[in-house]
Amino acid sequence: MKKWVLPYLMLTPFLLLVLLFFVTPVVITTIMAFTNMDYSMEWNFIGLQNFEKIVSDPNFSQIVFNTFIYVGFTLLINVFFALLLALLSSYYIPFEQSGLFFRALWMLPRITPPVVYVLLWLWIFDASEYGLLNTLTSFFFSNDPIAWLIDHPMTAIILVNGMVGASFGMIIFSSAIQSIPRDLFKAAQVDGASEWSVFKDIILPSIKWPIMFVTVWQLLSLLTSYEYILLLTDGGPVFESEVWPLYSYHKAFKNLEFGYGSALSLILVIIAILLTGVLLKLFKFNRMIQSSRIE
Amino acid sequence: MIDMFRRRFISVMVILLLIISGCNNRQETSSTNEAGDQVITIRAQTFGDEQTRIQNLEEAAKELNEQLKAENKKIQVKLETSSFDGSWEEYRRQFILAFKSKNEPDIFLTGHEDIAWLAKGDYILPLDELKDSEAYRDVYPTLWESVTWNGHIWGALQDTEARPIFYRKDVLKQLGWTDEEIESLPEKVKNGEFTVDDMTRVAKEAIDQGLVQWGILHRPVNGPEFHMIAKNFGAQLYDPKEDKLVFDKEAILESLRYFESLTQKEKVTPESMTSMEWKNVHQMMIDGKALFWYGGIWNIFNYMDQGAEFDYLMENFGFTLVPATEKGGTPMTLSHPIVHTVSSQTVHPDLVIRLLELVAKPEYQAKHSVETFHLPIHERGSEVEQFKNDEFLSQITYMLDYTTFLPNHADFNKYGDAYFNAIQSVEIGKKTPEEALKDMEVQIQNDLGDTIIIK
Repeated sequence: MKKWVLPYLMLTPFLLLVLLFFVTPVVITTIMAFTNMDYSMEWNFIGLQNFEKIVSDPNFSQIVFNTFIYVGFTLLINVFFALLLALLSSYYIPFEQSGLFFRALWMLPRITPPVVYVLLWLWIFDASEYGLLNTLTSFFFSNDPIAWLIDHPMTAIILVNGMVGASFGMIIFSSAIQSIPRDLFKAAQVDGASEWSVFKDIILPSIKWPIMFVTVWQLLSLLTSYEYILLLTDGGPVFESEVWPLYSYHKAFKNLEFGYGSALSLILVIIAILLTGVLLKLFKFNRMIQSSRIE
Repeated sequence: MIDMFRRRFISVMVILLLIISGCNNRQETSSTNEAGDQVITIRAQTFGDEQTRIQNLEEAAKELNEQLKAENKKIQVKLETSSFDGSWEEYRRQFILAFKSKNEPDIFLTGHEDIAWLAKGDYILPLDELKDSEAYRDVYPTLWESVTWNGHIWGALQDTEARPIFYRKDVLKQLGWTDEEIESLPEKVKNGEFTVDDMTRVAKEAIDQGLVQWGILHRPVNGPEFHMIAKNFGAQLYDPKEDKLVFDKEAILESLRYFESLTQKEKVTPESMTSMEWKNVHQMMIDGKALFWYGGIWNIFNYMDQGAEFDYLMENFGFTLVPATEKGGTPMTLSHPIVHTVSSQTVHPDLVIRLLELVAKPEYQAKHSVETFHLPIHERGSEVEQFKNDEFLSQITYMLDYTTFLPNHADFNKYGDAYFNAIQSVEIGKKTPEEALKDMEVQIQNDLGDTIIIK
C-alpha cells in the first residue's frame, strides 16, 4: 500500500463535508448570480443583468459608503479596544482571578443570544420616553425624548457590534499576552524600561500574529455578517444603516430575489478576498510565517 | 487492504446518498388503522399565536372523519398541525424550501396578498369551487376580492379584521366634547362630516391644551396601514386587468404631504414614530398619552396583554372608520384576510377541500373571532350568539362594508418597501414629499422594471 493512500482515505469524509458545505454553496451562489431566480425558484440565465442592476441601483453608492464606515470603525473597536481590554485584564491587573472576572464580564454580550442582546439595546435606544437613555436624559437634563436610532443609526450599530467583537479580540490577545515569558517583563523591569517601552518592545511584537488574525477574521465577519444590524435598525431609517450583506439578505430573502441577492453576495466575496490579501500584505504575512513569534 | 477500504468507502457513500435522497422524499401520507380504514395524513400549517386556528382545524377534521364513517368510505383523516411563530418572510421562505423538498404542508395558512406569487409559482391549487360551496355561500362579498388573482379563487378565507381609528374618549371629554358628540363620532365619520384634517386639528388642540403628549400615532414598522392611508388619498395601487402595480404619483404625493403635516408641520405625530417599539406605542395609548391611533381591532388583545382591563378599554376608547380626506367623502378601512391555501402537490385535494369547508362553520368562526379579536368571514358567523354578545366586535363589524385590501401582486412587497422608505424620510425631515416621491419613482423603476404602471 502506498504511503499516501491511508491519510487521504481518512481525510476523504472531511473533504467531502468541506466540498458539500463550503465549496458547493460558493459555486451555487456564483451560478445563481447569473440568473433571475425568484420565488418560483427557476434557473433562468440572464447574463450580466443582475450586475448592471447593481450599478444602476439608486442606493448603491450609499450602501457602499455605509459599509465602508461601518466596517472601518467597528474594526477599529474590535482590534484596538480589544487590545486595551486584554492589556488591562492580563497585564495591568495583577490578580489572575480579577482579570478572569473582568474578561468574563466582557464575554457576556458574546454568549448572550443576539436577539436577547439586541432587545436590550433596543430598550436602551428606544425613541419613546420609556427608553433607558431617554429616561436618563430626561431625569438629568429634562430633555424631550431623543430618537437615537433615527438620529444616530450608524453610531448605534458600530457601538453594538463593536462591543460584541471586542470580547473576541480580548480573549485572543489575553491568551497571547499571558503566553509571553514572564522573564522578559522582569528583565525589562530590572533594566528600568517604561510601561510604554514594555508595550511597544515586548508585548506588541509578541502578539503581531494574533493581531493579524483578529484583524483579518473580524474584517471578514464584519463584511459578511449583518444580524445585529438587522435586529437593531434593519438598515434604517431609510437606507442610513443598510450595509452590503444586509442589502443582499433583504433582496434575497425579503423580496425573494435570489438571483439579485446572489450577485450582490458574489461581489462581496470578491471584495473580501481582495481586502484579506491587502491586509496579509500589510502585516507582511510571508515574513511572519518564516520568523519566530518572539523577536 | 485497499479493496476493503474501497468497499467500506463505497458503502458509506451509498448510505449517505440514501440519506440525502431520503430527505427529498414526500412524507408517507397514507397508512391503515386497526379497523382496516385507510388513514390519510393531512398536514396543516398556521401562523401566529392564535391557537383557535389550529383548534378549529382539529375540530373540523373530527367532523370530517364522522362524515367519512357515515358514508362508509373506509377512509379516516389524521390531521397533523404546526404553528409558525416568526416573521412573515421566514414563514414564506420556509414554505418555499419545504415545497421544493416535497415536505410542505397540504394546507398553508398565509396573508391573502401572498396568493399571487404562490399561484404564479405553481405552489398552490385554484379553489374556484369554494365560491359556489354551501359553506362559503354568505361570505361578505367584498372579501372574495382578497382571494382572487388572475380570475380565480386561490384561498379559503379563514378570518378577517378591520383597521379602525382608536380614539380616547376621556381626552375628547376634557377637550369639552359632550358625551353625545363623543359617541356620535363614528357616525359623523361615516357621513363624511369629520375628515382627516379635522382629526389633525383636534389632535393639535389636545396637545396645545396639554392633555396628551401626541395627537396621532401610527404603526412603527412597514405594513398595510400605510397603504390604507395612501388609498384614502385616492391612490390606485394595482391594475388587476394587466396584473401590474400602479404608481399613482399624485395620490402618493398627497399621502406623503399628510405624513409631513403630521410630523413636521403640525407636530402631532413624533418624527421618530418609525423607530419606536410596538409595546411602547401601545403603552402610550393605554396611558392616555396619545389621542388617536391608526390601529387594528386585534390591538385590544395587545393592550390586554400589556395589562389593560377590557372594561377600562371599552370605557375610554372609541373606534371609528378612517375619516375621508374631504368633507362628504367616504371613510374607509383596510382588511388583511388570512387564508388557507392548498399545496399543488397535495395527494388528497378533495379531502383537503372538504376539511376547509368544514372549518368555515359559523361556530368555529365565532369562537376564533371572539377569542382573538378578529371578524368572521361570513354573516352566519356574526349571527352566532357568542359573537353577538361581544360588545366590541359587534360594533366594528359594519366596517367590512367599507373595507379595502392590499393588491394581490407577486412583487407588492418591493413597492411597499419603497413607499415606507419615502414615508420615513419625510417623517424624519430628511426629504420633502416631492423629493421622496422622486426617489421612490427611481427606486420602483429599478426594482420593478416594466411590471409597474406609472401615472
